[in-house]
Amino acid sequence: MKSVLFLLQILLLSSLSFAQEITISGTVKDTKGEPVPFASVKVKGANEGAETDISGVYNLTTTNAIDLSLIIFSPVHEKKEILVAGRTSIDVVLEGIKEFEEVVVVGYGESTSKELTGATSKVSGEDVEKMNLSRMDQSLQGQVSGVNISTNSGSPGGSSNIRIRGLSTFGNNNPLILVDGVVYDAAGLNALNPSDIESINVLKDATAGIYGVRAANGVIIVTTKKGKLNAKPSVEYNAYFGIQQTSKKLNLLNAQEYAVIKNEMFGNGGEPLPFNNTNLGIGTNWQDSIFQNAPVQSHNFSISGGSQNTRYSIGLGYFTQDGIVGGEKATFSRYNSRLNFSTDMSEKLKLNSVFLFSNDVRSGLPENGLGSVLYNTVNAFPTSPIITPNGNFSYLDEVSDIINPVAQIQNQFNSSVADKFVGKEEFIYDFNDHFSFTNSFGYNYALVDSKVFSPLVWYGPGKFANTAANEDLESPLVEIAEDVFIERGASVYEERASFLDLTYESYLNYNKTFKSIHNVKGTLGATVFQRKGESLSGIAYGIPNNSLDFADVSASTADGGFLNNTFSYEFKERLVSAFIRAEYRYASKYMVSGILRRDGSSKFGPNNRFGIFPTISGAWIVNEEDFFDVKMIDFFKIRASFGVSGNDQIPNFAYRALLDGEGVYVFNDIITQGVAIGRTGNPDLKWETTRQLNIGADLTLWKRLDFTTNYFVKNTFDLLFQPDVSAVLGSYGPGGFPPIINAGDVSNRGIEIELGYSTNPDKDLVVGANYNFTAITNKVTSVPDGIDFLPGANFGVGAGVATRFEEGFEIGYFHGYETAGIFQTQEEIDNHPVQQANAQPGDLIFVDQNGDGIINFSDDSDKTDLGSPIPDFIMGLSLNAKYKSFDFSTNIYAALGQEIIRNYERNQPYANQLDYVIDRWTGPGSTNIHPRVTSGPTNNTIFSSYYVEDGSFVRLRNIQVGYTFPSNMMNKIKVQSLRIYFAVNNLVTYTRYLGFDPDVGSGGVLSAGVDYGIYPQARTFMGGIQLKF
Amino acid sequence: MKKILILFTVSLAIGITACKKFLDVDPPYAQDAENYFLTEEDYDRALTGAYDLLQASFLSVWIGDIASDNTIAGGESVNDTRGLHQIDEMIHGGLNDELRNVLRWNYTGLTRANFILEQQANPDAIEFNEKDHFFAEAKFLRAFYYFELVKFFGGVPLIVDERIGVEQSRQIERASIEEVYAQIEKDLTEAIPELNPVALIKGRATSGAAKSLLGKVYLYQDKFAEAATILDEVIGSNQYSLIADYNDLFTVASEGNTESVFDVEYSGLEGGGYNCLVCLEGNAGPGFNGIRQYTGPVYGDGNSYNLPTQDLYNAFSASDPRRDATILDIEAFIAAQANPGSISYAIGAGGHTGYYNNKYIKRQGEIGLPDNDLTSPVNYRVIRYADVLLMAAEAHYLSGNPSTAQTYLNIVRERAGMPTLTISSVNDIWNERRLELSCEGHRFFDLVRTGEAASKIDGFIAGKHELFPIPQVEIDLAGGNWAQNPGY
Repeated sequence: MKSVLFLLQILLLSSLSFAQEITISGTVKDTKGEPVPFASVKVKGANEGAETDISGVYNLTTTNAIDLSLIIFSPVHEKKEILVAGRTSIDVVLEGIKEFEEVVVVGYGESTSKELTGATSKVSGEDVEKMNLSRMDQSLQGQVSGVNISTNSGSPGGSSNIRIRGLSTFGNNNPLILVDGVVYDAAGLNALNPSDIESINVLKDATAGIYGVRAANGVIIVTTKKGKLNAKPSVEYNAYFGIQQTSKKLNLLNAQEYAVIKNEMFGNGGEPLPFNNTNLGIGTNWQDSIFQNAPVQSHNFSISGGSQNTRYSIGLGYFTQDGIVGGEKATFSRYNSRLNFSTDMSEKLKLNSVFLFSNDVRSGLPENGLGSVLYNTVNAFPTSPIITPNGNFSYLDEVSDIINPVAQIQNQFNSSVADKFVGKEEFIYDFNDHFSFTNSFGYNYALVDSKVFSPLVWYGPGKFANTAANEDLESPLVEIAEDVFIERGASVYEERASFLDLTYESYLNYNKTFKSIHNVKGTLGATVFQRKGESLSGIAYGIPNNSLDFADVSASTADGGFLNNTFSYEFKERLVSAFIRAEYRYASKYMVSGILRRDGSSKFGPNNRFGIFPTISGAWIVNEEDFFDVKMIDFFKIRASFGVSGNDQIPNFAYRALLDGEGVYVFNDIITQGVAIGRTGNPDLKWETTRQLNIGADLTLWKRLDFTTNYFVKNTFDLLFQPDVSAVLGSYGPGGFPPIINAGDVSNRGIEIELGYSTNPDKDLVVGANYNFTAITNKVTSVPDGIDFLPGANFGVGAGVATRFEEGFEIGYFHGYETAGIFQTQEEIDNHPVQQANAQPGDLIFVDQNGDGIINFSDDSDKTDLGSPIPDFIMGLSLNAKYKSFDFSTNIYAALGQEIIRNYERNQPYANQLDYVIDRWTGPGSTNIHPRVTSGPTNNTIFSSYYVEDGSFVRLRNIQVGYTFPSNMMNKIKVQSLRIYFAVNNLVTYTRYLGFDPDVGSGGVLSAGVDYGIYPQARTFMGGIQLKF
Repeated sequence: MKKILILFTVSLAIGITACKKFLDVDPPYAQDAENYFLTEEDYDRALTGAYDLLQASFLSVWIGDIASDNTIAGGESVNDTRGLHQIDEMIHGGLNDELRNVLRWNYTGLTRANFILEQQANPDAIEFNEKDHFFAEAKFLRAFYYFELVKFFGGVPLIVDERIGVEQSRQIERASIEEVYAQIEKDLTEAIPELNPVALIKGRATSGAAKSLLGKVYLYQDKFAEAATILDEVIGSNQYSLIADYNDLFTVASEGNTESVFDVEYSGLEGGGYNCLVCLEGNAGPGFNGIRQYTGPVYGDGNSYNLPTQDLYNAFSASDPRRDATILDIEAFIAAQANPGSISYAIGAGGHTGYYNNKYIKRQGEIGLPDNDLTSPVNYRVIRYADVLLMAAEAHYLSGNPSTAQTYLNIVRERAGMPTLTISSVNDIWNERRLELSCEGHRFFDLVRTGEAASKIDGFIAGKHELFPIPQVEIDLAGGNWAQNPGY
């Protein structure tokens, strides 16, 4: 019966319909033969359409017509038009949209760069690896717009500052760094092997707000390498070996120049001349004695592949580097192992498992400060030998805080060993094609063992660093009770600290396209995070024989253990969050996305524990519009986003007043411990709030040239501050601190441009270029009530504050006297309209900023803005070319418009100086730049523009030439590919800066650009091989 | 699937509501300021914390001489501790880190005393026998700190028996000089009966210390009769006497001698760094005052601060043994040694007079470990019995009792081995104060209170320099409603 009816219907329909129905089916695949799911198959000129299923199969019924054409496309593939011509089965091969087939990780999910509504930059692991650097953040320098990386130290295992879109706070500006979803702090990055990285995604704008209270400084998402399904094991071995040398030595005075100038200096100061004979020749070149060539090498071995249900990638790495200063005393070495494993546990349940292990060992020298090795090297006297004729290290008498740097290096014994276990178990359950449910458990455990051995040493009479009582290395005696003395001896400090982060994430993803043009995506989830840290440390005296062989607490022979001491700390912090993200896309043209995150953090006071962070963003793909008809433009997207995020980077328990101050007094001649309030409490403490607006565009021209630009305005409010408070609060005793409060605002606005170009990859000659440009203006827009500014770093020794955090200026700008040449004659001083106390011919002329006719040295009224350490522009350019088997690449980085304070010259009559002092003022008309030298009282040594230099530089960070052996030759020896290369890092740096390295970072925000003699980045010559089986 | 979804949503909801508790993380093993004073020991430890700031006195002691005609600032350069040089030259203004530290450190001391004294009004406070004694010591300390403040700055905000918050600190007003002195007198008067005449523990305040301080406080207000009365009590107790040899006064070995009425206690066991001078348990004064880059016998290495002037040297007669006990003539000293050629030292660019402060100086055997050139275990003698006698002499002389004054003055002179002196005017007593007490931090304040400052100190402007300026930043931080001291 049914079948009869059915037949009848068909007859009826077919006789009624004028045109004929046609059903077309087929499979959509990409160029690699993989099926393309969710591709749209549309009938041209009609509303009908279908979507491919998970295996790329589509079924479409439509009205037949002579010119019936199908348009097939997917978000990541080029649009293709096919004339049906009566066929009912059409298989389609789609080509990926160039550059836009990339998957971008956006937090709790993925997107494609075409769909993206936020400002995100991506760097491939290949680009990171190519730099041959020990740290991933160093490799990022100059690769991404909007990200400024400055180097704190060029020493092995040294750190750098990562600043995404400027400095937005007085405190911690580090971005949130996630490695496969696990939080890494910036210090922990040393543990990461750049060769393990698949890609790095940098979320720069408000769409980072999916990470809520931790997102204000931007988010860096690092993904480690994964295997491929249905792939044979691919075995790779990459290695390089290099020799490092210093990229620069300073031009210091030699012995003869030194003696002449010091005589003049003391003579001008009215003191006896130190050198009767100035014919002393070159003397000691201290730099030659501390800089050396040092090796660096890296080996990486990996296997990856997969079966039908399983993918795996295994990596093993070893890296070791000696220092160009200190050699074996400043080393870094690291072992890494990595396992990425994904499997379909059942048809619907998938497991992603990541395990990273690292062991790194670092030893270092005192750096970047008074008393650091390079500081001593710069200031040591060329007239003193390294070793005196009687076999001792020379003492460099006359200056108590400059010690013999060669002796100093020899006496450094420290090491820090970090073992890190990081991993994640992630379960993804696909309910159906649209719903998936992810649960992941992440952990990051670090065990850090440090040891410092302080032998008894004698650097000379009165030296600050002496640990022995005298030249014979006798131990100092310590009185432990009346007339009871014990020997202190050599000491050893040991610490064991452990840190454990646990993260649980649970979220639901939804993705469905309705009527083939309405795409809806949603994410709903919650996370819980806990960090715990513990440390136990101890110092033990009386290490036998003053010898490293017994440098352990267990070997202590301290009488009764009297002096030995132990310390510990413990902390715990927690974060609870819930988040929702909803995205809607219409016809691949219009997309809008909203994010809402709620965070609760144990860092904040009970009054402000929870915060809500919303973000909204949208994009319009203009070239999809019918009216858009510009041939040369293949892709044109306009984006905008606005949102609120937070920064919670403050110490734990800062909202409470704890009795952790220092209240120690001497009763009965015994040091007696009391109590005192440490930091004053503030129960209203809350996160910093950042509101960021981003407007951007992405363009592809002639299918080869990619262009991305962003304009952003990023305003940060309620800065977490520890400003000065009134003395009457009594916060300034030993161990006492003012309360941390929320006050002050900072604004960053800027423009970013990224350009990418490459020629057809199938040709013999392939040329590519990537350029990025960032311009940021930074401004403090408000400071706390009653505070004019916050003082930052000091200049010289006790010569005042040189940097400030002040309303209307850049963070950490330089503040001091502006100079206007040199007084040539007494007459000039007398006739000078401005009265400058104690001025003599040859002294710097200071500018009267407040116009009161007098240079005020007892207050700040004549000080002014002398520049800032923040570059006006940063840019990176990488070029690569390939001709048949040869390849070439280079990476150039430039930071322009920043200033540096020359602060590595000890302002002390006997200290050595740079050779510019040869051009000092010696009489009327001799110079208008460099003041006279004198050991007497002078205002030339106070902080002025004379000590501020242009820090702009352009650096050839990497240049590389490679050769890939022909594959037919390699196949014979069963090698898939073999490439050898030669590379140089930091070959050339163009700068006018006189110091070791213009790339001067710093630990603290307000000490940026203050150069105490930074450990320079090495110039490294490397050769390497890349072998694939 | 629906079931799982519901389960997920429900667990999410539970998670979010339960998380409030989850976020209550207490700092492990740490004491909270609001949950303290539970035992007698708690009081004791808080009191130790209040004593701690006495150790910051080295700065006031420096300024007391550098600001006067006794010493110059010295140091590595004129920009080394700039504030001291400005004070030395009488060009100090509203920007002076050293004066700011004086203000900050003394307020911290009295805040810590107030932290204990808050408990007087706490109805739930625990009771124990010694409690009033703890309060009395805290009041002595509060009086000490306020006296330092009133000497330097005149009227300062009075904060009594409470801790204030940031908001209050922006509204608080300066009290008058009289009000501050009244509070000091009240604290000392209340403390005296509760304090022990003899310290059970070396370093604790005694009733003799409190009476002597009160005598000084009266003298600073020209309350001569009251001063004479209370100082006579100290003298009449027969508890104190001058030690035989003036040269022995400032050594570690002579600490706690019969002449010590009140000392700030220091230790040489801990050493320390220049980065936190207020944290030191040793006396930073001797290290700074010491001879720069010195290698040789007797003395240790130092930083050439606070150098005696020729004027001070000349004030002594050559026969006065106090001259060489007070002032080290470095070249004369070196020449007198066995092997002068082996002795070396450096001259700082901050100034050089050829003289060093021989009372508080870095000596061999008094080197604070592990630093070599910073701290020393030598106590600062805040109030010596000689000071008490000279204050009493002055008080008696000016309240019409010259014979007692004569007696007291000559006790001091006799010990020094100097001939007796008949007082012809109060200037003789003031001059004796200089000879006996120079380089101990009293001179500037003595000159100011006796009205002699303008005639003795170069650059001193009467009507201005009697008080130091309040650091401008502190005026701003206090909401800008404090008037600056006159003339600044």
